[in-house]
Amino acid sequence: MNLKSERINIGNGVNLNLVKTNKFKSNLLSFYFLRPLSKDEVTKNALLPLVLKRGTKELPNNLLIQKNLEENYGADMSISVNKRGEKHILRFTIETVNGDYIGDKNYIYDVVELLKSIVYNPVAEKGSFKKDYVEQEKENLKRRIEGRINDKRAYALDRCIEEMCRNEKYSIYPLGNIADLENIDEEILFKHYQEVIKTSPIEIFYVGDYDDNMVQYIKELPDTNRGNILSLPREQIISGVKTKNMVSEDLDVTQGKFVLGFRTGIPYEDSLYRGLIVGSDILGGGPNSKLFKNVREKESLAYYITSTIHKYKSLMLVDGGIEFSNFEKTIDIVKEQITEIQNGNFTDEDIEVSKKSIISSTESIKDSIFLISEYFFSQNLSKDERSLEQIIDDINSVTKKEIVDAMSRVILDTIYFMKNSKLQN
Amino acid sequence: MATKIYDSKNIKEKLYYRKMDSGLKVYYIPKEGYTKQYAIFATEYGSIDNIFTPRGETNKIEVPEGIAHFLEHKLFESPDNNIFDKFSQLGADVNAYTNFNRTAYLFSSTENFYESLGLLIDFVQSPYFTDENVEKEKGIIAQEINMYLDSPGWRVYFNCLKAMYYNHPVKIDIAGTVDSIQGITKELLYKCYNTFYNPSNMVLFVIGDLDFENIIEVVDKHENKSKTEVEEIHRFFPEEPKIIKEKLVEENMLISTPVFYIGFKDLDVNLTGEKLVKSDLITDMILDILFGTSSKFYNDLYEEGLIDSSFGAVYTGDKTYGHSLIVGESKEPKTVYNKVLELIKRPVEDLFTEADFERIKRKTMGDFLMGLNSVEFVGNNFIDLYFSDFMIVDYLDLLENIRYEDIIDRFNSHLKEDNVVLSIIKPLEK
Repeated sequence: MNLKSERINIGNGVNLNLVKTNKFKSNLLSFYFLRPLSKDEVTKNALLPLVLKRGTKELPNNLLIQKNLEENYGADMSISVNKRGEKHILRFTIETVNGDYIGDKNYIYDVVELLKSIVYNPVAEKGSFKKDYVEQEKENLKRRIEGRINDKRAYALDRCIEEMCRNEKYSIYPLGNIADLENIDEEILFKHYQEVIKTSPIEIFYVGDYDDNMVQYIKELPDTNRGNILSLPREQIISGVKTKNMVSEDLDVTQGKFVLGFRTGIPYEDSLYRGLIVGSDILGGGPNSKLFKNVREKESLAYYITSTIHKYKSLMLVDGGIEFSNFEKTIDIVKEQITEIQNGNFTDEDIEVSKKSIISSTESIKDSIFLISEYFFSQNLSKDERSLEQIIDDINSVTKKEIVDAMSRVILDTIYFMKNSKLQN
Repeated sequence: MATKIYDSKNIKEKLYYRKMDSGLKVYYIPKEGYTKQYAIFATEYGSIDNIFTPRGETNKIEVPEGIAHFLEHKLFESPDNNIFDKFSQLGADVNAYTNFNRTAYLFSSTENFYESLGLLIDFVQSPYFTDENVEKEKGIIAQEINMYLDSPGWRVYFNCLKAMYYNHPVKIDIAGTVDSIQGITKELLYKCYNTFYNPSNMVLFVIGDLDFENIIEVVDKHENKSKTEVEEIHRFFPEEPKIIKEKLVEENMLISTPVFYIGFKDLDVNLTGEKLVKSDLITDMILDILFGTSSKFYNDLYEEGLIDSSFGAVYTGDKTYGHSLIVGESKEPKTVYNKVLELIKRPVEDLFTEADFERIKRKTMGDFLMGLNSVEFVGNNFIDLYFSDFMIVDYLDLLENIRYEDIIDRFNSHLKEDNVVLSIIKPLEK
C-alpha cells in the first residue's frame, strides 16, 4: 500500500489532510495548532487544551463529555502539547470505531462534531473562560510541571537540553513554568485562545474511511475571523561549540544517569543528514549498536544506553543509566566508540543492519492510524515533499563515506550527570 | 494434523490453529494489507513460579527471586553469535518480556519474516548458559533493577502488592533484587528451562499478511521434535490467607506529589477459562462505572482538586490471585482513600444503573475493536487470554453476554472494606 495524503487548503492558513484507507477498524481526526515556542506564551499554550477539554457549549462539563464519548463506542479523545524543534504544537485528536463494526455508519458525525466543539466552542461567557476550570487546570499543570522529576530518564534528557541550549528557544520546557501560572487568569487565557484560533497555522488530519459528505462536514468550521497568520521560522542550527559544559545534579536516586549532548550542525534539509541518522543508529540505535555491545554486553555497565537525533535542532543525545562510580569509565567508552565510527571502523554489515532497522520502523508507520497522521504532519512541518518510499530509498542510498563525514561533525557540547552523593557506590 | 479455523464475523477476523508433532500449538491471525508481521513465542512461566518440582525429579525446590526474568535475558545467548545480531541482520526487531505468569519472546518485521520465525523458534529452544555469561548478566540486570527502584510508579505498585499478600509470590519483584539474583547459577537456569520450556507448554502466535501453510512449514522444520509431550508441571503456591497483610504502607522518595495505590484483594480466586476472563471483564466494568472518567466520583474529586487525569482503576486477575487497583496522584491520598470507602458502602442502587452498564459495555466494545488495529495488541492479548484458556476471537461474544446482574453480584462480593490496602509514596521530607 502506498500512503498518500491529499492536502486541501480550506481557509486562511488552514489545511485539511486526507488519508484514505479501510485497513483499520477505526477513523481518526486530529487538529494541530502551530505556535512559536517562546517564553511569552509557552505556559498559556500548555494550559489551553487542558481548559478546552473541560467543556463545550453543548456539553459544559467533563462528565457529560466523557459520557458522550462512551456512548459513541468509547471514542478516544486525547490532547497533547509538545515541542517540535522551536515550534509549540497543540494537538486535539479523536479516534472512533468504524461504523461497520457496530451497524451504525452515521454516529461518526457526532464524534467529529464533538472534537470541533472542543476546539471552537468552549464553555465561555463575556470574553472569559470559566474561572473554576482555569484555576483547577492551573493547579493540575503546576503539579505536572513539578512532576517532571518522577520520570528520571526523561528528566535527565530534558535537563541536558536545557543546559546545552540555554540561549536558544529549544531549551524551553513545553509545559511551561510555574511562575507564569500566577499571572494567568480566565480572561487572559481566553484572549490568548482567540489569538490561537485566529493566527495559528492549522493542520487538520482525517485518516480512515470517508466520503464527500464527511469531507464537507469537516470543512465547515466556524468563521473565526482569521487575519494575520503567524509565520514560524525554521530553527537556527548551531554548529561550532565554544564552551563545553559539565553539569551534575545531586538527587536522591539509586541509579546514576548521564546524558551527552552533541551538536552536529547538519540541518535536516542537507543530504548528509541521512548519514547522520544511520551513523547515530550504528552508535546507539538497537541491540546491534556499538554502545549496546560495548557498554552493556561487554562491560555490563548499563541496562539501557542509546543515541538519538533531535531533528529540528540537529542534536545528538547519548544517554544511559549506570552505577555512579562507573561514570568516567562509561563516558570514555562512549567517546571511544564515536571515534571508531569517525575513523570508519565499522563494517558494511553494521550499515546494512542500521538501514534495515530504520527502514522497518519507517514502514511500520503504515500500520498505525495515529502514526500516519503524525508522519504527514511532520512532513508538512519540515516542508519535506518526499513520499515514504522516497525516504526509504534515500536511507538505502547512504554510503559509508557519508556516515563518516556526518559523524565527524559531531561535537560534544554538554555532559549532564544525575548522581547521589549519599550513595556513591 | 488438521488445521482448524475460527471465523469471527463480529470482529471480522479469522484465527488459524494447528497442533504440531512436538505438542506445540500454533495460532495465526491474517491481517491483510499490513506491513508489519509479529510473532510471539511464549511459555506459562513467570515470576510467581518460584516453587516447583524440576522435570525428572521428585522433590520440589524454591529458586531465587527473579530467575524467570534472568532466564529470559540469558536465552539470547548462543555459542557462536549473539541472537540480537542475527535478528538485526534480517531487519527484524526482537524483544522479550517476563511478567508474573508468562515469559514471551517476540519479534516484529517488515521483511524476512519466515527466516526470522525460524530463528525465534531455534533460539528459544537452544539454551546456552555458562558460568561466565551468567555472571556477566548480573551487572546488567542490577542496573535494570536500580532503574525500577527510581520509578515511583513501580515502587508504589509493589508496596501495594506486599501489603495485600502474605505469601503469594505475586508480591515479589519480577526482576528480583540485586541480592537475590546473586544466587542464580547456570545449573538452576537449566533446571527452570527444562521444566518450563517444553513445546507442549508453549504457544506460538503469528499475525500479519502471511500464509499459514508457510508458517507451519517453518515451525515443522525448526521445532525440536525430540521433546515429547510431558506430564503436567507441578507448581506450588504457599497458602494465602483470605485477609490482607497490612492496611497501610508508606514510603518517601524523590517525587513532587504523592502517588497512591488502593488495592482490593480478590478472595474469590482459582477460576480459569471463560469464568476467569468474564470475572476480569465484569470487575473492570464495575471499576469503570464507579471510578472512570464519566463517574460522579471522578468528576467530584477532580473538581475538588483531589485527583487529576492520572487517576484510574483496573482489575488484574490470574488463576491464583487477583486484585482491583485504584491509582493516581494526590496531595491527599488518605482523603481519596476515605472517599473510596464511603462510596463502596453506599447502597448498590445509588451506584449503578442499567444505563451506566450499557454505556460502559459499548465503551469496552469500542476499546477492544480499536485495539485490534495493532498487531502488538492482538499478540499480547492473545497470549494473555490463551494462558487463561480463552480465545481472543470469542472475547466480544463474552462481553455481549454480560448481564447487569453480573455486575451487581460481583460488586457485592468483591469491593469490601475488609480487603482494602493503601500504598503511598510521599515526597522526601525537607
